[in-house]
Amino acid sequence: MLKKRNKIKQFFLLIILILTALSGCGEFKDIDKDVFVSMIGIDLSDDPEKPYKVTLKLYVPTSSFKQSPKPEYTYLTKNGKTLTEAIRILETHSDKEIDFGHSKLIVIGEELLNANKSKEIMDFLLRRPDIQMISWLAIGRPSAEEIIKMVPQSETAAYPALFNYFDHNGTDSPYIVTTYLFDFRRKMLETGIDPILPLIEINKEEEHFEVNKSYVLAHDKKPHELSSLDTLIFNMMTRNLDVADLVINEDNQHFIAKIDNINSKYKVKVDAQHQVKLNIDIELFGYISESKDTISNQQLPQYSKMVEAETREKFSDFFIKMLNVGYDPIGFGLAYKSKTLHNKRMSPNEWNEAYKNSKVNIKVMAGIKSTGSIQ
Amino acid sequence: MSSEEILLWIKEQFKNTTELTQKTLDYDNKHALLFYVKSLIDQESLQKLIIKPFFEMANENQFKAYLIALPQFQKVESKEQAVSEVTNGNTLIVIQHDLYLIDLQLATNNQVSTTSVETTIHGSNIALSENLMTNINLIRTYYHQASLSIEYFTKGEVNQQKIAIIYDKELVNTKALEIIKQKLQQLDQQVISASTELNNYLNDKRFSLFPQMLMTERPDRIVYNIAGGKIALILDGNAQALIAPAVFFDFMTTMEDNYHTLFISLFVRILRYAGLFVSLLLPGLYVGITSFAPEVFRTELALTVAGSRIGVPFSSFVEVLFMLFFMELLLEASIRLPKAVSATATTVGGLILGSAVTEAALASNIMVIIVSAVAISTFVIPVNELAFTIRIVRLILLLITSVFGLAGLTLGLYGLIMYLVYLDSFGEPYLRLFNYQKAKKSSEGQA
Repeated sequence: MLKKRNKIKQFFLLIILILTALSGCGEFKDIDKDVFVSMIGIDLSDDPEKPYKVTLKLYVPTSSFKQSPKPEYTYLTKNGKTLTEAIRILETHSDKEIDFGHSKLIVIGEELLNANKSKEIMDFLLRRPDIQMISWLAIGRPSAEEIIKMVPQSETAAYPALFNYFDHNGTDSPYIVTTYLFDFRRKMLETGIDPILPLIEINKEEEHFEVNKSYVLAHDKKPHELSSLDTLIFNMMTRNLDVADLVINEDNQHFIAKIDNINSKYKVKVDAQHQVKLNIDIELFGYISESKDTISNQQLPQYSKMVEAETREKFSDFFIKMLNVGYDPIGFGLAYKSKTLHNKRMSPNEWNEAYKNSKVNIKVMAGIKSTGSIQ
Repeated sequence: MSSEEILLWIKEQFKNTTELTQKTLDYDNKHALLFYVKSLIDQESLQKLIIKPFFEMANENQFKAYLIALPQFQKVESKEQAVSEVTNGNTLIVIQHDLYLIDLQLATNNQVSTTSVETTIHGSNIALSENLMTNINLIRTYYHQASLSIEYFTKGEVNQQKIAIIYDKELVNTKALEIIKQKLQQLDQQVISASTELNNYLNDKRFSLFPQMLMTERPDRIVYNIAGGKIALILDGNAQALIAPAVFFDFMTTMEDNYHTLFISLFVRILRYAGLFVSLLLPGLYVGITSFAPEVFRTELALTVAGSRIGVPFSSFVEVLFMLFFMELLLEASIRLPKAVSATATTVGGLILGSAVTEAALASNIMVIIVSAVAISTFVIPVNELAFTIRIVRLILLLITSVFGLAGLTLGLYGLIMYLVYLDSFGEPYLRLFNYQKAKKSSEGQA
């Protein structure tokens, strides 16, 4: 009995020891003494001594969104030699503790992107524990600060409009790519695949954002901008898109095919001479959603042919562009690596050379099922 | 010892009271002496069963035979027994040096009441009465087995209450039965006035938090548990029975679970366990999340909570403690108050205090919602004993969380589960799905 009681005492002592060793998540701090960051913007400043310009968008808490439905933010901006320095100074500009836990979007200015400082930025974002790895990463044009400081008309309190572009809950356009911080880092470190980041632009007159372009980037390489069409093709290759529109303008026929089912596959084949062959297989199914001329149901096979030809052309344009600049956002290199034994594999440099000279084989199968609902 | 001596001794015992009535019947060479406590016996039956026949009988011998033939007849074995039976409502009759005890007890507490604590929509609504014999009668009418055994103990040095142990001889968990009997024999208390007291007395531990016996007022629950091999204890003069051994999950079931269809009872059970966790964890979670890890909230919620705390003078855990304190006061008050006043108390306490507290910015709006949610979910726990325990455990978890954050809450919950695993109820592990029958079958080969 006595022994048992002693054991219980020891157990509680142990628990208390373990508990005191835990610090929880930081110190006890009431929630109203925190200020939550909604977005982080990082730009290149004019001052060469302090190259980083950090802009933080902070939420202003309200007790009831019904009483104040208008979004309210405050902004903090500071230049710094390093990002940490800038943020440390920013902390003295705010009366409350700056909490990055709710920051969902990190915008990097276009200029900074071209200044080849991605390594330092990544390092900061990844090391700081309260920056969530599931934050979205995007490029801001003309600068991150302008993107962050704009509040469009349609915005509601507590949920910035910009988030709706990336969370797949609001708009789900095929022109938008979404990249998480953890995913970006993986692709940055991995050979054989290059990360892609969405580009946010501002329409000044109408006060709204435009997100339909993107950037592919890699270490020590000039970032390459993808146009809207290229972004769409990238999405068609990598995401299981539900909808895409293809404009067909050929032989006096002008119509738009609305594709509602896309299957894309690719295979990387390498022969003994290190000649890379990229076999790309695309299946498109859909209907005609808009046309300038009369369209006949009997001619559906011909329309399908036109869609096939058009698609093949656009896809091969995209891949030729990618091969020329040496970027691989789809991940052909990774597919090759994963399917070849390590002792038979080309080195990353060899692969990069071979990739630039690879042959692209595009096979398109299109099925236009109807001419739309107008009979 | 002769009957005269016994009589003298009995008179000696009742010397200082006027309670004992002595009546002499004398007619036609027939003599009888009656001793009884007037307030305890049914005078009508006394007249009908004893006095009237006495005058009709031919001689004393016939009357003696008649008395022995009465179903209420009891043999006198010792003088102590005679005294105790007289105080239990027996009438002592003396005819020619022979002593007879006739049970003419008048019980005013043998009315079967309707359930008031464990109310259900389906099923029987009869609760135990406060009379032991009526209760045993109730149980026997629900349980027709010859193997149903009842053993009586008289406990309480001063008030000498009868305790009945009821079990099915064929099905009973013998180990638990032995422990209970042994502990009952060792029981040394001056006064035992409620069966739930036994919960403390039969428990070796000085500090016990979780109840180890299940309190119930429903005969159907008693019958159900006896059929499951458990043991029921009923104290005379109490409308509550205790069932042992009880495991944690027993406290989370109602009899209605068996009366509903599968999906309904599954749904209700899920609801009940959700309620248990809400009432246990919600105050701790509020403190842990708002003060240690606001990332866990959705952004909108974090901002609303932060906004509603503007102007609140206390830290989050003081705020929670403050509101919980008032909630507990309200709960306690509504138990003690007469029914007519308790409605006013809840209105004043719940509605007026709740809105006034937020108006005065003593607590945030969200806090009032949390406290009400906690209060409601506490009521979902079907057995009252456990609900009381949960109220205390909740405070402990809240304190741990206030110091160590969410990690502390998680560890505290682990600690609680460890404690429950460590507990046992009369030899049965506390945190186990109770299925004694299965265990018995599987151990038959080994024994």
